[in-house]
Parts: sequence; C-alpha cells; structure tokens
Amino acid sequence: MDVIQALTDAITTKNVLSSVESCRPYECDGLSAYREKPLAVALPDNVEQVKAVLRICKQYKVPVITRGSGTGLAGGTLPLKDGVVLGLSKLSEIIKIDPLQRIAVVQPGVRNIAVSQAVEKYGLYYAPDPSSQIACSIGGNVAENSGGVHCLKYGLTVHNVLSIKVLNMDGEESNFDEKDDGIDLLALMNGSEGLLGVIVEIKLKLLPKPEAAQLVMAAFHSVSDCADAVTSVLEQGIIPAGLEMMDKFSLMAAEEFAKVGYPTEAEALLLCEVDGSHAQVQTDAKRVADILSQKGAYKITVSQSEKERIALWQGRKNAFPAVGRFSPDYYCMDGTIPRNKLAFVLEEIDRLSGIYGLKVANVFHAGDGNLHPLILYDANKEGELQLTEKFGTEILNLCVDVGGTITGEHGVGVEKLNSMCHQYNTPELEIFHGIKAVFDDTGLLNPGKAVPTLHRCAEVGQMHVHNNQLPHPHLERF
Amino acid sequence: MATLSTPNHAVEQFAEQVKQANLDKQTIQITGNQSKVPLRNEDLNGDPVQELNISNYSGIIEYEPAELVVTVKAGTPLTELQAALAERNQMLAFEPPDYGNSTIGGTYAVGLTGPSKPFRGILRDFVLGTKMIDGQGRQLGFGGKMIKNVAGYDVSRMLVGSKGSMALITEMSLKVIPLAIEVTYCIEMPENEAILLMNKMAGTALPMTGGAYYQGRFYYRVAGEHSLQTNQVGVRECDNSIWLTLNPFRPELEAGEKLWRVDVESTNPAIENTIAVGMGGTRRWVASPHKPNHPYVTLWQTRFAPRHNDTPCVQKIKLGLRDVFDPNHIFKQL
Repeated sequence: MDVIQALTDAITTKNVLSSVESCRPYECDGLSAYREKPLAVALPDNVEQVKAVLRICKQYKVPVITRGSGTGLAGGTLPLKDGVVLGLSKLSEIIKIDPLQRIAVVQPGVRNIAVSQAVEKYGLYYAPDPSSQIACSIGGNVAENSGGVHCLKYGLTVHNVLSIKVLNMDGEESNFDEKDDGIDLLALMNGSEGLLGVIVEIKLKLLPKPEAAQLVMAAFHSVSDCADAVTSVLEQGIIPAGLEMMDKFSLMAAEEFAKVGYPTEAEALLLCEVDGSHAQVQTDAKRVADILSQKGAYKITVSQSEKERIALWQGRKNAFPAVGRFSPDYYCMDGTIPRNKLAFVLEEIDRLSGIYGLKVANVFHAGDGNLHPLILYDANKEGELQLTEKFGTEILNLCVDVGGTITGEHGVGVEKLNSMCHQYNTPELEIFHGIKAVFDDTGLLNPGKAVPTLHRCAEVGQMHVHNNQLPHPHLERF
Repeated sequence: MATLSTPNHAVEQFAEQVKQANLDKQTIQITGNQSKVPLRNEDLNGDPVQELNISNYSGIIEYEPAELVVTVKAGTPLTELQAALAERNQMLAFEPPDYGNSTIGGTYAVGLTGPSKPFRGILRDFVLGTKMIDGQGRQLGFGGKMIKNVAGYDVSRMLVGSKGSMALITEMSLKVIPLAIEVTYCIEMPENEAILLMNKMAGTALPMTGGAYYQGRFYYRVAGEHSLQTNQVGVRECDNSIWLTLNPFRPELEAGEKLWRVDVESTNPAIENTIAVGMGGTRRWVASPHKPNHPYVTLWQTRFAPRHNDTPCVQKIKLGLRDVFDPNHIFKQL
C-alpha cells in the first residue's frame, strides 16, 4: 500500500487530492514565483484525522507541509514533490467565545477577520490585522507570528495568543500555555513556520474596541523630514495605533488607484492614527498635528469623521495593487530597520535601483521599522526574476548591516534562506537546527524551510566568520 | 544576531569560565544580586557548585527613546534601569517586582511580570533580543532591537523563565513604553463581585492597567485621559502604592500557613483562603496549609523550583532543549 492509499483509507477519498488538476491550487502560496506539485494534499475534517495523517506520513517517511489559507508571502508552504500538503482549512470552527474573559478558542483554519466579526457584538476584536486578514488563517498567523499595521501599539500574534494545542509527528498533543512554568514554549511556537509541530487549537486574547479613532495625514518635502517627525511623535510619548509612511512613487500610485486626495507633489506622506477614549483621541490628534507641522509637514489633514478616516486609509491599504499596475510583476520585501536609519536605507535602495535598472516603491510601517520595498519586474523577461532576487537579497543584507533584520512579519520560508546566512552565524544556526530536532526528530515537518543548512550557507558564501575563525573547517566548500 | 562588535572583556571572561567548567566537569550557578534565588554551593547530589556572578556586568549599553528600545547588561539593577527610563518619560511596561536590588537579568531568568499583565502583556512580550553564552561557552545572539522580527526561532523569548539553566544571558534589548500617568480608584465590595466587575470593566474602552482585590476592596487603575469614574457611588480615588503592596507581594502569614500563587482564568470565582487577587483576576494569592486544587499553582517559598506538572511529551521537549543549549549540563538546575 502506498501513502496516498493509506491516507484515503484513513480520512476518506474526498479528503485526499493527488491528481495534477486537483493539486493545482496548492502548488504555491502567496509567493507564486515558486511552484511544486505535491505528492498529495490531505484536507482533514477534524483533529483526529490530522493525527491520522501525521502518523501515516511518519510511517511512510513522507514530509508534511502544513498549510492554512496559503496567503504566506515567503514560500513557507511551498510543497515538496515527495511531500504531503496538510491543509487545515476545514478546521474552521470557533470553539468558544467568552466575552467576559475576553478570549476566543478557535481551530487553526478560522480566518483572521472571522474572529473579529464573531466578537463584534460584544464590543471586542482580535488585534493583529495582517493585510491578508480577510483570507489568512489564525493557524498560519501563529506559524508566521503575523503582524499588521497596528503592531506598535497592539503587538504581533505572539502578544495576542494565550495558549495553543500542538501535535507532533506521532499525533501526540501538547498544550503550551502562557501560564506554564519554566521556558516559554508558547513564544517559541509563534513564528516557527510549521517546523516544530502542527497547531490544532488556539486561545486568543480579545481587546475592547477603542471608543474613537482619528487619522492625521501629513505631507513632507523630504523623506528624512518625515522620518524625523515620526521620531518626535514617539519621543513625546504618543503611541499611535497606526503609523504608515509612503514614498513618492507609492503615494502617487495609491492616489491614482484610489483617488482619495493624497498630495501627489509630496516626497513622503505620513498617515498617523490615534485611538482610545474620545478625550484622549482629541488630545493626541491635536498634539500629533502640532508636532508634525513643527517638524516640517507642509500640509496636514485631520480626519473629521469616521467616513473620512476610512477613506484616507484606502490609498495606503491599496498601495500594493496600485503599485502593481505599473509593472507585470512586483516583488515585496520585508526587512526591518531602526527608524533613524530610514533615510540612509532609502537612499541606498535608490542607488541600487539605478544599478539594477529596476524601479522600487517603498511603503514603511514607520512605527515598528518594517520596510516593504516593492521591486517592479517582468517575469517574462529572461533573467529578470533572478536579477530581482539578487537585488532583494542586497536590500535585506543592508537591513541587517544597519542593525535590523531580514524579515519583520512575512517569515523566512524558502525565500530568505540565503539571507539567514547573513543574519546568523554557524553556532546560532546550529541552535536552530537543534531546536528543530528536539520537536521533530524525523525531520519531516516542513523540511528545508526557515533555517538554512550550514552547507547552504557555505555555498552562498555568506557564512559569518567569527573572530576570524572559519567555522567548521572540516566542511567542504565550493 | 551576529554583528561585528568589539571584544568585550567581561563577556570573554564569562565565556572562558563556562568553557573551563566544561573541561573540569564543574557545575555553575549563575547569580545576580541573589534577591530571589540564593547561591547554594552544592547541587542536589552534594557536588560543589561554582558561582558565575553577573552583578558587576551592569549598565545601559544603548538607549534611544524614540526607537522605544533599551539595551542593557544583565546585571543592571531594576532601579537603575527604571530611573534611566523615567528620566526620558518612559518605563518598563511589565512592571517587574523588585525583591531588593533585583537585576534585569534575574527578572528575565524567572519571568516575573507586575499588575498590568492582562492589559499590557508579560515580560517576554517586551523582549526583542538577547546576547548569551551557551553551555559550551559560545557567544550567541538572537532577535535584535526591532519590534518586528520573525527571522529564525524566537530564542530570546523562549528563554524567559529558563532560570539560568540553559544559557547565560549577558545582554538584552527590551521594548519600552511612554511613562503612563495613572490613577487608582477603589471601592468596598465582596470578592466575587469584584472579580466580575474587574472583568466587565476590562472589556470596555476604559484604559485599564490594573485590577485587584485586597482586604475587602476592589482596586483598579486607569491610564491617560478618560471619562466617568469618581461620580459612582462608593468609588474614590486612592493611592497608587497598592500596586507595590501587591508587587512583590510579601504578606505576613499565620503559623502553619503557606503562601500559594495560583494562576487562573480571570473569571474564576473566588478561591477559598485567598488573601489577594491581582492582575485583573488572573492571579490569586492563597494562604493555606494545603495546596489549592488548580493546575497552575506554585508554592511561593520554593517559587523558583519547577512545578513538575509537565506531560511526558513536554518534559521530553524541555530536556531535549536543555541538551541543545547546554549539552554537558554545566548550568545548575534549580
């Protein structure tokens, strides 16, 4: 009997896909430049079936790639041709809502926005709001430690998960809870990209909806003035709920797309949202507007109604597709940098853009230092994707060199494996591999993602040399 | 995170001591100012234990208020760190309890958070990165100074609560928040009513940062500008010092009583022999000769000993991870 037959016997025919046609939607995630047809796709109806799939895959030594909604942007759920994609979209039950305790217990396939929708009647919501929130699943959010535009004030996924239930390759269930004693395994699971276990239940923290919110939009003649203004806002003790910056290209594209009245002559545009009690919002919006104008904003708009606030956001929220209209393809980067390095990094990106002959639009989560340069390219032009990736890698290395990191919220997946070699040295990577082996001694859970092999780092020539001692001198390098 | 840095003499010495301990098969106990865990010169088998004291490795390495991040050496006393932040109108969101000259390293090692836990989050939420020396004396770095960072496993957060048993944390970067201007209100009422009320209030837009019940009174703390409050019957403004009474909580006990820390769901009804409710209802302090029957209970006099309630599967993971960080078991287990 082969693995497909065994899966079919265990979780029924309708829950196992293996033909080329039926597997097509699972060939890639949001990073569509990488594709692979999996051996099979298993779509279990319940947790018992998930356990069965894991046990069978272990028995047949078949890799398991756990997948939620497939909206990831780093190829974290790219299939392997000899692997099974374990799709958890049918585990989409909201198991429990306790409005008094402000928690929701959900299955991993529940969509992010569905949680907020289900608890809206209690005046509550689930804070992390990745831009894919209408489609992305909570299980995937935990696996990637997803962010969103409100992270500075309300945190990432890791800050909003209270406990999870996780299966290992034997189908054994463990519970990791914030209240646990000793090391924090719950924190470890957040952002582990499906390499350490299969998450089958999540207890989420819910927050009361703020009474009010107001948006301050400010236009600047230069990027560095805009960055300085952000610094002043934070220095003066205001933590905005959202703080987004766009460069000239992005804001022009966004305006052309959404027609919301962005000042297209500006070099940089800042959207700063404050929320909280009515009194607090009034005070903060005025303070923000004052600080921004002192710091060189030449035009300031403060939203006067909920309708206006939402309208002003529309441009930013559509910035990616808006920029996408200028090019057949675009490649979205996800580095983070200290805010005070922003002007320098943007200048460097501009310089590299000239060298590579590829245009770049920049949107920046200014509050938390997360930069999303969008590199415009044409996949149909011979070699342009490779050139784009090379450019992207240079941008990420730049982020690391100024004290930032290669990925703020999208994850490493397959996309940034080489850049991991730039960010971490050999002993650090060894620790990562050690952690993986403790949770998954079979090495069957999403192999080849998130953490590069030492061999790979040696090959890409980005291995860190610490104290001038070449790590693992006995390893062959070519 | 691997970055080029100038050789650090103190850190080199720590690393040497750990490497030497590997050669000598010597157990090391990491200490700070011993405000929580005293040095015991022998381990459970009666073998001698060597001290590795980090209290002299103290001070702020980098602090940029506008980046909302501070990077400190592990031996830095909480008071010193908090004073430096206060000078720039900022604070540690997790309000760590100070047991008397407690260090930030020791606070990280045991993972202690103050009254704002359900409102602002726990200590590990604010850890952005750490530098450490593992059990083989290797100098490692994980995370960084960025609020968002998902490159590699989150080792910096995972090791919060590791009690010096896996690696020596030498430096850490912490997210800080603007200094909160807070007012405390209180009102007399029965415990169960207070538990219900603190949960109800936490679900409203009121910017709550503390909820507790102590000696017949419900206390709650509110930050920033807000409406309502003192116009309610029986509610009055009271002193913010109540939060220091409860954090760290050091009550006088009757003979034969023991102090139990019980972590529960915030809505859990009153537990017998409770002498204080903290952290919005999620923390209960019970004075009793007997262990309360709840899953997350710690006998507070041996508070840093493991609870031993892990399932075999989790136990295996923890032992395995210890071997990854400290294969020769150099660092003492508490």
